Amino acid sequence: MRTIDAVHRSGVGLGPERTIREAASVMEQAGVGSLAIIDDERLVGIVTDRDLVRRGLARGLPADARVDSVMSSPVLTIDADVDHHEAFGLFRRNAVRRLAVVRGNQFVGMISIDDLLVYLACDLTDLARPITAEILFAQHDSPVPATA
Amino acid sequence: MRAEVGDRIVIKGHRIGEPDRDCEVLEVRGPNGGPPYVVRWEEDGHEALFFPGSDASVDHLRSTHEREGAS
Repeated sequence: MRTIDAVHRSGVGLGPERTIREAASVMEQAGVGSLAIIDDERLVGIVTDRDLVRRGLARGLPADARVDSVMSSPVLTIDADVDHHEAFGLFRRNAVRRLAVVRGNQFVGMISIDDLLVYLACDLTDLARPITAEILFAQHDSPVPATA
Repeated sequence: MRAEVGDRIVIKGHRIGEPDRDCEVLEVRGPNGGPPYVVRWEEDGHEALFFPGSDASVDHLRSTHEREGAS
């Protein structure tokens, strides 16, 4: 499966000149916990709700401070068309919970550990199904015919 | 996904009890009606770039009515 096909939630982006108040408001309205920061169609950073708290509120930044003052940059990205298992390796090697999904240089969405867990749970269910059926509805194979 | 200016995008709630959210398409940045879209959130009027995922669908109702009204 392509990484883009594992993305459940829509991505939302803001320009770097927007304020952290606007960022918080857009997160609330869109129901997302992170925003892509996009400058002239180029992905320049990611800001999460945690960034707003730790880098904004905790440091006493005013609500009208620019959102790029609290964003993470550079951004860890994954190509939209590579197999989603490549994301597992990126999450394993990097202390992040989200990856920006890109096609070329264009941001197209955000994938989270939660997204992958959903698919992993589905995979496990599929794998467990025949074993569960075997345990619950065991069919005894006929004996192997004797050979001379 | 394809959208036009004036369409509404509806984003399904992700948790039980979470309401659907919607926004209005102000500008289509992609080719042939494709994303990204500049949208405005209904409640507070803030604008943002929107990159639809599988949780989003387009409601063409408004733009359809406008076209009918223009003809």
